[in-house]
Amino acid sequence: MLIFVNNLLAMRLLVIGFVALLMASCSSGKKPDDEAFLKSLESETTAGPGVDEEVINAILEQIPSPLEISVLLKESGSKYAPEMLNSANNLPKYNSNYKKALNLGVYGTDLGYTNIFGRNQDGIKYISSIKSLADELNIGQFFDVVTIGRLAANSKNLDSLLLITTMNFNHINHYLQSQSRDNLSVLLLTGGWVEAMQITCQTAVKNPKNKELQEKVGEQKIILEQILLLFSFYQSDSNMAALMTDLEKLKAAFEKVDISYTYKESTLEIINGVAVIKDNSSTTINITPENVEEIKNITNAIREKIIS
Amino acid sequence: MKKFVFIVLCVASLGMSPVPDQTCDSESFATACIPKLANGFNFLKSYKVDGVAKDKVEYSYVFTKGTQYMINLCANGNTTDGIVVSIFDKERNKVATSKVNGQFISAIAYPCNATGIYYIQYTFDDPSGHCGGSALGFKR
Repeated sequence: MLIFVNNLLAMRLLVIGFVALLMASCSSGKKPDDEAFLKSLESETTAGPGVDEEVINAILEQIPSPLEISVLLKESGSKYAPEMLNSANNLPKYNSNYKKALNLGVYGTDLGYTNIFGRNQDGIKYISSIKSLADELNIGQFFDVVTIGRLAANSKNLDSLLLITTMNFNHINHYLQSQSRDNLSVLLLTGGWVEAMQITCQTAVKNPKNKELQEKVGEQKIILEQILLLFSFYQSDSNMAALMTDLEKLKAAFEKVDISYTYKESTLEIINGVAVIKDNSSTTINITPENVEEIKNITNAIREKIIS
Repeated sequence: MKKFVFIVLCVASLGMSPVPDQTCDSESFATACIPKLANGFNFLKSYKVDGVAKDKVEYSYVFTKGTQYMINLCANGNTTDGIVVSIFDKERNKVATSKVNGQFISAIAYPCNATGIYYIQYTFDDPSGHCGGSALGFKR
């Protein structure tokens, strides 16, 4: 077996050496067309920051969907508050790819919020804005506006509507990553997160007795750390560097929030063919109403810059 | 000369890259898994589980306290084809697995009690079954 591997290795080295020799001997005869092609490869700029895209994609994939927060807000008994959302009429303000990607994320969160609260007619306004921004970013092919509009027309289609919009955003993220436009993916995600943050903060401040909402604000510290990690790869982009500076201010406010984790082995039982886990670990989130207020104010300031 | 270079490059490429004896359409399995999430769960992510050239496939996600997550598995036929999904916390403690007492379970329900980054890892117990898909959903 070892002899076979050695022979195979020797043969490969021989072939590689021969090909290298051949290429070196031909190099002096490079045609102008070949040179132009090689030059075009060199001059092509990629949106990636020069680090392993797999690392960026892995971080992007772990950021939770803003939909989770919208569901929490509804189940906490908080009232539907469309005045907290970005106006779909702000669309003409977004002229750069930077603003378009951020506000695509913002509108995505707003659409999810209206859907969760069953206000599909409000959602339709966002679908139109989302489609416009996506088209301008050359990712409009992932939004099947006809199907989404049809589903949104009937509140009974909530599950299908949520499914198709989540799938659309997932497809967009995967596509942008595959096209080395992951900076737009980061912006899309950040816009969505900031919008969800400001909705959660405002709702938490309005409901000071709801401890779960305050904790939900506090645990965003973990998400912010991941987002800042993503931004650290794009410091050469002036827009992203400026936004990162703002997000660092938010991080400073989050430093006052303490999250402690205690691991305890989980147990499980099989119910109807599903392994149902009992998680015995826990996190304790120490956050005060003053912390929430400070985080809310900084978040609103960042969000204002994004949507204006 | 061009023909000769072409032949040499072909021979070189044959010698250098392993010819895959299997292909894995993990995208189809992942998509097929989405409607198989239990009622009441909202879809979050679908995961391709292509382990044709790997021992394991891993993703990560931030799970939040108070939310119940479901991860299911899809492979050839109605079985998991020896694919096991396990969840590890940020300290790499195993908190859930779909292989229970030697039995392969096709879905895990994980009511999260501790917010943090979790690792969703797919491993392969059957040497022939390294291809599948998976979906993640949530409910409150």
